[in-house]
Amino acid sequence: MTNDDARIDRIIRDCSLYQCLECGKCSASCPRLLTGKEYSPRLLAHKLISERGDEAFIENSVWECLTCGLCEERCPSGVEFSRAIVEMRTLLASKKGMKGYRAHDGALHSWMRMMTSPKLEQNRLDWVGPEIKVAEKGPLAFFTGCAPYFQVFFSGIEVDTLSIARDSIRLLNFLDIVPVLIKEERCCGHDLLYTGDRENFELLCRLNYEEFKAAGVTEVVTSCPECFLVLDQYMPEVIPGYDLKTTLLIDLLEREMKKGGKAFKPLSTRATYQDPCRLGRYSGRYEGPRNLINMVPDLAFVEMENSGRSAICCGNNAFINCDAYSKRIQVERLKQARATGADLLITACPKCMIHLTCAMRDPLKSGKISMAIRDLVSVLAEQIEWKG
Amino acid sequence: MERANLLGICCNWSPWACYNAAGMARLKMPPNLRVIRVMCIGRINQALILHAFEHGADGVILLECQDEDCRYGPGPEVGHTNVEKVRKLLHLLGIGQKRLVEKSFAAHEKQELVDALWEFAGQIKAMGTNPAKPRQEREAS
Repeated sequence: MTNDDARIDRIIRDCSLYQCLECGKCSASCPRLLTGKEYSPRLLAHKLISERGDEAFIENSVWECLTCGLCEERCPSGVEFSRAIVEMRTLLASKKGMKGYRAHDGALHSWMRMMTSPKLEQNRLDWVGPEIKVAEKGPLAFFTGCAPYFQVFFSGIEVDTLSIARDSIRLLNFLDIVPVLIKEERCCGHDLLYTGDRENFELLCRLNYEEFKAAGVTEVVTSCPECFLVLDQYMPEVIPGYDLKTTLLIDLLEREMKKGGKAFKPLSTRATYQDPCRLGRYSGRYEGPRNLINMVPDLAFVEMENSGRSAICCGNNAFINCDAYSKRIQVERLKQARATGADLLITACPKCMIHLTCAMRDPLKSGKISMAIRDLVSVLAEQIEWKG
Repeated sequence: MERANLLGICCNWSPWACYNAAGMARLKMPPNLRVIRVMCIGRINQALILHAFEHGADGVILLECQDEDCRYGPGPEVGHTNVEKVRKLLHLLGIGQKRLVEKSFAAHEKQELVDALWEFAGQIKAMGTNPAKPRQEREAS
């Protein structure tokens, strides 16, 4: 790794790894370590700084992280650990062609890379029916992301990711907004970025930007926290002069609800909420989703043992590292959800929904951990109505 | 389109016997077809088929045993499910469902296998280049 010393030095400096006090709070809070995996963020930071010769350890550890950001939340020195992980993955992927242990043999990354082809003529809008109003050109677009692809790929575990997109557009239509759906929109590239494929990630960013511009879009609304993270924080880094506004659907909805004239129909159920890491710790949206849930009459909202800033990850990220330890994290999380006595688990990220639904299907444990799971957008789209 | 990149994924049992017999009988086969022998088509998952397209295949044909002939049990059924799902993904990507073909053979059907391969080669030639070819290959051609 000696040739890359300068690059690693820069990563260490940029991500404040020298500030590490070796207190070990990161390792003590890491869900991966707590479920028994031999992985320690503290030790990785230490090895990167002073024992760089231990390539085997570093190369293994860099791909173990879930980038859930819980260690950063706990770190008293402000070490940007997740960013260091992404930069290290980019370095190892470009130098050594490393990819990490990819779930589903990398099928998802494969279609994401195929989308970097500029000549593609996708059929991604086949699901749009007469029940929703969409436009081809206009100032505001809705970013569907990989929903149509997940719908096909995860049909085996009965996760309806397209319903989230459909319900998002129903909500926008309700608010008298007719969003543009772009036919040649690509994946946002989040999973390629977090598996170190910076080159193809940037290609996807550029293609998406060109598509937005061609449709005359100035504002992009998305309901997926990962797409939001990429469009809001990473695309301006990649594209010089980036001038699109990115809005999270729940932010827009909260603003609209405050204006009045709209209300939610009562929903008598007891519900709990899973904070997606990209929505909570990465984008700071803790209050918004809770405010919206609390606006629904008759809905009894209960928090899980670990919630908000200390919420536990759904067990996977960027479709790598799906193993027995991920499963344990998911089972623990679902047990927490069941312990609240809630009938419904609300989440705000399609990936949380996919991973937790998959864990619920365990034939031996499902009786103890399965429960109804729905996306926040779907719950709200069902309940919203005009008032007065 | 100069030369299509065709990939055949061939089960070790009935289809491989056909392929071998066709070779012994010197039957002419499409020259631009590369064949990978696997123990059973049930070993091939969706990712492996997608990787072929990602790395520049213009068409992929799965050569498998007939349902009741599988030496292991569920091989061809696994193949049918995978083909059905990958075709949907190929349709979404706009690559074309017909670029993925699935054919089953009994152990003596060497002529049928060769005919199927030529038909496949013709069909892919008519469809043209895979629009999702990797960047390196697009730049080279």
